Amino acid sequence: MSRLILAGVLLALSVPALAGSFAGSSAGASSAGSSASSDSSSGDDKIVLQAREDAASFVASHGRIRGAQLEAALRHLRETDEAARRASDMQLAQAILAR
Amino acid sequence: MLPRRPWGRRIGVALACVLMGHAIPAFAVRVDPAGLDAAQVAATQTLVDDVLARLPRAWRGGLPRDLVLAWRTDLPHDVQGRRHGRRLWLDRDLLDDPDASAARKALVHELAHAYDRAHRNVLSGDARLRDLAGWQRSVFRVAGRRSRNDFTARSPDRYELTRPSEFVAVNLEHYVLDPTYACRRPALHRHFAMHFGEPAVDAACAPGLPFLEADAARGDAALLAMDPARVYEVDYLLAEGNTQAMSRWGHSMLRLVVCAPGRPPGPDCRLDLAHHRVVSFRAFVGDVQISGWRGLTGSYPSRLFLLPLDQVIEEYTKVELRGLQSIPLRLRQDEIASLLERAAQLHWSYDGSYYFISNNCAVETWKLLHDGVPRLAEAPLASITPTGLLEKLAREGIADRSVLDDADQARRLGHYFEPASARYDALFAVAREALALPQRDVQAWLSLAPGERARWMPDADLKASAALLVLETAALRRQQLLLRDELKRRYLGRDVPEDAALAVQALKAWLGDTSFVSRPAELAQEGYGLPQSVERTRIAAEAQARVARLRSQDASLRRDLERWLPEDQREALRGIEANVETIGARLRALAAAGAS
Repeated sequence: MSRLILAGVLLALSVPALAGSFAGSSAGASSAGSSASSDSSSGDDKIVLQAREDAASFVASHGRIRGAQLEAALRHLRETDEAARRASDMQLAQAILAR
Repeated sequence: MLPRRPWGRRIGVALACVLMGHAIPAFAVRVDPAGLDAAQVAATQTLVDDVLARLPRAWRGGLPRDLVLAWRTDLPHDVQGRRHGRRLWLDRDLLDDPDASAARKALVHELAHAYDRAHRNVLSGDARLRDLAGWQRSVFRVAGRRSRNDFTARSPDRYELTRPSEFVAVNLEHYVLDPTYACRRPALHRHFAMHFGEPAVDAACAPGLPFLEADAARGDAALLAMDPARVYEVDYLLAEGNTQAMSRWGHSMLRLVVCAPGRPPGPDCRLDLAHHRVVSFRAFVGDVQISGWRGLTGSYPSRLFLLPLDQVIEEYTKVELRGLQSIPLRLRQDEIASLLERAAQLHWSYDGSYYFISNNCAVETWKLLHDGVPRLAEAPLASITPTGLLEKLAREGIADRSVLDDADQARRLGHYFEPASARYDALFAVAREALALPQRDVQAWLSLAPGERARWMPDADLKASAALLVLETAALRRQQLLLRDELKRRYLGRDVPEDAALAVQALKAWLGDTSFVSRPAELAQEGYGLPQSVERTRIAAEAQARVARLRSQDASLRRDLERWLPEDQREALRGIEANVETIGARLRALAAAGAS
């Protein structure tokens, strides 16, 4: 995962921070050209990547914290992977963290 | 509605036609032969016959009975036609133009005025027409409609913006003469077709509704073709307020529940988060000098963005630590389609001004619902705050807030995205117990130097490592925010140190160059309304080129500006990044061991 930090710092940061406190959000207005943190990830990887923090909360809380991004990733894995259908939610959440 | 004419006049016109040897119906336009030779009279008659044959039957039949067409050489320079009472005048130059299209356009334009006037502005005075045209309702009822039309980009002819009657005449030119009108301004095309009792045409339009999507995660701007049939539901998406003055009221957006490819539209689409999109009005700021005063006086453009839902979740819940409520709106499929069509129209043509009170995100979202879904225009929804709009949508039975009743389920199904901070205490407790951490609370943990936190990481078990990963990611975002504020405070204010001036200058130019993301019309000079195939190819290529340029400058800009940030802060950032790497590696190792 290569990160252009200051791109993040500037883009996620400068304009949006200003625009954000002003218009209600903190990034986005000029997000084109901002950092490329997941350039090479396919759609599948992206769904799993987005669920990483949800999965960590799920594992740490022993299944008590269940966010929608994790739910989306669990369903996606089961739809596309035979083995995932036989795995428990906890096993899949751990697998997401292991990526 | 048709004004009554004395019988004698009608018979006279009919008689004149018979005498001139043309089989023209009684409602025809008479040609004034003064100053014309026989060939010119014939050419003029051909023009009239040609244009009348193209008009919808109801329009032709609804024209005043005694219109007279004459050519004039004394019309003002930029005027091609004029109407006074029953007399229509066209610019004489058009008669000699071998290409008849300009004369045809001018005549349709004047006949549109004649029809509209004869029926007491039946078209230009119509409320729905004015909604569609862009003379929008004010959020304050007593203020009626705004006198300004902000749909200035990708206009076929800026003259249409002068007043509703000219808008009607210009648009009817295109309705009659331009086969792509149904694709470029579909809602207006349907409106006119319905008025004239004509069947809706099945025009061969470029597929889907075009949107230029800004994707921050991929650092990209891509042209999407959104198919409304793939949108299962539209949610009102409310970012809850926080203590920051300007976001105290929250932010209102619309979430498009787009189904993943291959999935039939239905409740299952609700978890296709990666495909969901968010329509958000934002004050685009290509200028780093932000002031509350300018916000009050409408100096910032207000524009419609289409963003990936995942990016919006990240921005609000993880960076700004604000919750997101996602409340489904009860809309029929055809209403979803017209709402999206309206959003696309705004995206390519609207360049409004952001006012804190009278034209903020809630007002823009209300106007989008009002103008995009006629049924909602009937409901009393106008509101100047995001929460106020949601209240009214719920009261009218349009928004269904019961999805929030069961908090756990709301989080699981994506009706509520809690602020990441809501989890911090619970996660810290897990790590503290597993590692016997001496820190009292998560704040104390996060205020340690990154190197201090790193010492505990090698001993963490799976659960504790997972907890530390979330907390370290939070630390990373917090540090980035800190650097951002530092940059803002030190260099983007008034007192830019002289040696940093060049870099700041470059940054400002760079920010200005990003404006196309909010005003995609910049990418295509030709065409009007929704871009069609040829334009879309060009727009996509131009967007790619601009993104590539921004990216290449981004790296050097970063190097230049990084030097001006305090070394200890940069050091802390590097430390946190190393920690995130360390925990990631540990999680992989632990998970692999657990799996075997």
